[in-house]
Amino acid sequence: MLQAKAFLLVLFLCWAPAAFADVAVPPLSGRVVDTTGTLSSDDVATLSRRLLDFEKRKGSQIAVLMVPTTQPETIEQYSIRAAEAWKIGRKKIDDGALLVIAKNDHKLRIEVGYGLEGALTDVTSRRIIDEVIAPHFKTGDFSGGISAGLTRMIVVVDGEPLPAPAPEASHGSDDLGMFLLNPFNPFTILFVLAVAGISRNLLGRLAGSIMAGGIIAAVVWFILGSIAIGVLVGGIISVLSFFVEIASPSQLGTRPGRGGRRGGDGWSGGWSGGGGWSSGSSSSDSGGGGGSFGGGGASGSW
Amino acid sequence: MRRFLSVLAALATLSLTNCGYNAIQTNDEQIKANWSEVVNQYQRRADLVPNLVNSVKGFAQQEKDVLLGVTNARAKVGSVQATPEVLNDPAAFQKFTQAQGELTSALSRLLVVTENYPQLKSDALFRDLMSQLEGTENRITVARNRYIKSVQDYNVIIRSFPTNLTAMAFGYKEKPNFQVANEKEISSAPKVDFNPAPAAPAK
Repeated sequence: MLQAKAFLLVLFLCWAPAAFADVAVPPLSGRVVDTTGTLSSDDVATLSRRLLDFEKRKGSQIAVLMVPTTQPETIEQYSIRAAEAWKIGRKKIDDGALLVIAKNDHKLRIEVGYGLEGALTDVTSRRIIDEVIAPHFKTGDFSGGISAGLTRMIVVVDGEPLPAPAPEASHGSDDLGMFLLNPFNPFTILFVLAVAGISRNLLGRLAGSIMAGGIIAAVVWFILGSIAIGVLVGGIISVLSFFVEIASPSQLGTRPGRGGRRGGDGWSGGWSGGGGWSSGSSSSDSGGGGGSFGGGGASGSW
Repeated sequence: MRRFLSVLAALATLSLTNCGYNAIQTNDEQIKANWSEVVNQYQRRADLVPNLVNSVKGFAQQEKDVLLGVTNARAKVGSVQATPEVLNDPAAFQKFTQAQGELTSALSRLLVVTENYPQLKSDALFRDLMSQLEGTENRITVARNRYIKSVQDYNVIIRSFPTNLTAMAFGYKEKPNFQVANEKEISSAPKVDFNPAPAAPAK
């Protein structure tokens, strides 16, 4: 009996580490995320509106995250985790900045993406924290402090030459497209085999291989936006499917109709649209623009 | 027969990816990129050191041996080569991390000493340098973490079945990771002595 109790005790003790678990990074539900409930919904809306206008004008993304505490991590460790999870800032341009406030720890940090490190240098960030934000926070004026700090950050980033914001709903090439185009991807291989096999069976050897090439060319053009590459890849596929008999109906085990549907299902898997917030009207933010962070910026306290 | 060959060709392509040769290459390049970033950030810190030493000298000339310690540590760091080949040579890697560790200790000694000089601490230039130094140390930490993660991914692939067969066939070994030198020293909290240091003997 005692042994059983001891065993149960050990089992329960295994849950103890959960008490020291790191603070979770909240999902990117908007440009201003406040899990402490300090900011009123009006404040959140106003600040989000300003940040959205800034992004539309300049392209760079700034966000605010306020949590009660980051213990047991330091605010630097937590900020870089949050920045890596949210990925604000445009991909390859990395022009994101994140203002993280740990209210009960009395600590705050501006985490700056690679692309903004020239403007929001460590010294500049430190000065914004010490001279602009901390005085407000010391008197308990959180919304005023955040607002003033964001104003300063926007002014600083405005002075930095960045690529113009993209027109809305541009595809570009995103990770899903690259994943599907990678020639070693088994899904791609199967898809191409299916298309080639079905076209040949439907139309005969010559016309079928041309049609297969045409379909693949259209798909590649759709992903990459480049007609030349699409025609090139389509041409290669045509030639290959002309000479190599990929599959017969008995091998695929389908009538052309079923095969076509299967090819279609392989494709409809997912087009999530390029970029993150730039459409502005989307209500669900699955993430930022793909920007990355290197640990630049500065921390401070009040 | 042709049908059979084409199916075989497709299968061969698929199995190459599963054997992980490409994955090993990708991870190896990722490690090199992350290592370059680590070296880059250490270099950035080394570049800050002369300015830091000069600004401290202006207020605390008598702390000569501490300042000398920092300058020497920085010189030593400059003399250690840090190329990607270091990753394949554990001894060279050890030398590199040791030199950087000595510079870290020298810098923290300097910082402790500056606590005694309130004029220095309120000097604007010194404050700017301190925020740059803190930023650089943070970047070093982030770069090291990313390097450690990529080495972990690589070592896992090297050691897992079936990719370890590919690794053995092509001669890929595990990559070195950052050790914590002087673990005992680090586990005891550093002592901060706020009593003003006794006046140094005549120079």
